[in-house]
Amino acid sequence: MELLVLFGVLFLMLVIGVPVAFSLLAAALACFLAMDIPLIVAVQRVAAGISVFTLMAIPFFIFAGDLMYRAGIAERLVRVADAAVGRMRGGLGVVDVGASMMFGAVSGSAIASASAIGSTMVPLMKDKGYPGDYAINVTCTAAIVGLLIPPSHNMIIYSAASGIGVSIGDLFLAGVVPGLLTGLLLMLAAWLVARRRMLPFGHFPGWRVFIRAAAYAVPGLMTAVIIMGGILSGFFTPTESSAVAVIYTMLIGAFVYRSLGWSGLWEAAAKSVRTAAMVLFIIAAATAFGFALALLEVPAALGGLIGTMTDNPLLTLLIINVMLLALGTFMDMAPLIVITTPIFLPVAMGVGVDPVHFGIIMMLNLGIGLVTPPVGSVLFVGSAVGKVPVTQLVRTIWPFYLTLIAALGLITYVPALSLWLPSILGG
Amino acid sequence: MAATVSRWLIGFGTIGLLAMTAIIGWQVFGRFILNASPSWTEQASLILMIWYVMFASAAGVYEGFHIRIALLEERVGDKARILTRIGGVVVAIVGLVLLVYGVQLCWAVRGNVVPALGLSRAVAYVPLPISGLLMAAFALPQILTGRHRTETRDEVETA
Repeated sequence: MELLVLFGVLFLMLVIGVPVAFSLLAAALACFLAMDIPLIVAVQRVAAGISVFTLMAIPFFIFAGDLMYRAGIAERLVRVADAAVGRMRGGLGVVDVGASMMFGAVSGSAIASASAIGSTMVPLMKDKGYPGDYAINVTCTAAIVGLLIPPSHNMIIYSAASGIGVSIGDLFLAGVVPGLLTGLLLMLAAWLVARRRMLPFGHFPGWRVFIRAAAYAVPGLMTAVIIMGGILSGFFTPTESSAVAVIYTMLIGAFVYRSLGWSGLWEAAAKSVRTAAMVLFIIAAATAFGFALALLEVPAALGGLIGTMTDNPLLTLLIINVMLLALGTFMDMAPLIVITTPIFLPVAMGVGVDPVHFGIIMMLNLGIGLVTPPVGSVLFVGSAVGKVPVTQLVRTIWPFYLTLIAALGLITYVPALSLWLPSILGG
Repeated sequence: MAATVSRWLIGFGTIGLLAMTAIIGWQVFGRFILNASPSWTEQASLILMIWYVMFASAAGVYEGFHIRIALLEERVGDKARILTRIGGVVVAIVGLVLLVYGVQLCWAVRGNVVPALGLSRAVAYVPLPISGLLMAAFALPQILTGRHRTETRDEVETA
């Protein structure tokens, strides 16, 4: 009964357009009322959900990404990728994926990637005779790769939600190979689709252009190196290395790229504060919602249910993947990480899945949810940037969608893809 | 009036984020250059973050930047205005709950001291009731007009 209240209120609130954070809180409050639990407990959970040291890295990652975006890094990354692979048929599709992968090393936000790379690539591709739906679909699905390529603030949310302190350094390392693999598969898909639809060839702009663009992009890409190096060497905590990355991007924005003045710095900080507040407030609200779920013993019941169905790790992961994909179609990524990690991680660990590996599965799985309607925020951004309605995008997105699902299958069932790099480099 | 308050809240948040960068930067500087880790930095920046996240979240109700599903109102258009009003009421209620029980929470933890700072734990949680009140107030225009403010929404990125 209380469970019905919890999910009924949540669903109703989401449908009538109440912001996700407030929907989660309203559902938790209604459930607490139904269970006769004092509402102060809910407010306490909100306070606890946001008072987490690890989460301090999130505003920094968002801030550093925005500063790099303001330095015009997106256009340079496009130029680097263009010079490298732009010659073949459908070359710009492959370029789009490559640029998005590099952008993923600067920012961990799929939405930032879709809007930054999309606003450069989509007009360029349309100009060269590529259809808008192809351009946007490639951009949006490639943006998901950025969730796997470090730094990724969603991995920090996962680490905090795991409750067992999954190492952020290991998670970042574990994302590298799956990120490259997914990116390469998407490049292949972009090329195959381009061949089938007879999309135009590109041309080689010359080595000089390539070197100039690469030289411009390198200081920006160093951000990722600083973050990874700082964490892996043990010199910095993740929070410290993200703060150092912010200071570094400020310095190169001001002195190397000369794109950042005082007003630009202020604007970037103001925008990042809005984004960080939205993400962290959702996390706080989802913490209260997750607490209500725990009181109703949903995690244990669901774990038991999966346990009665199978004790085979392969099947267990399949069931969890299907459930996460279904949830991802109508809920956003950050709240789902907070809510579902305490439910599914113990189940997965119970059948012997490594928590780092499981984190990577969750990133890609919930990332796929960002490009699936009805609630695919990345797809909506792509649609807005490229001015093609979502209904039209959905008709031709399936080759890329299937590619992402195939990558998810590989990453789920070949743990070494995730765990090899942390095993040789991690602590 | 509401616009000014909202702008000030974002301004506070902006200074908060820049200050947090400086504080953690100082922590790193202290450890590697001065060979002395300041003990107050982590706690202070966490409290600062709670403050600016809550205040900017309140401003988010006014600016309409909190992520939400706009599918229904896009489909049914102006007929959705009654639903939008109801949505505003829900936001206001959540805000008032944060206000009332946030005050109780602060009162309950007033005696606990944050070790590294020597301050009451209540200092960390004071922005909850304040932003709750602001959220309820900022939801009023939506309740009265049945419309969302959307012009600043594309300024925000998530996920």
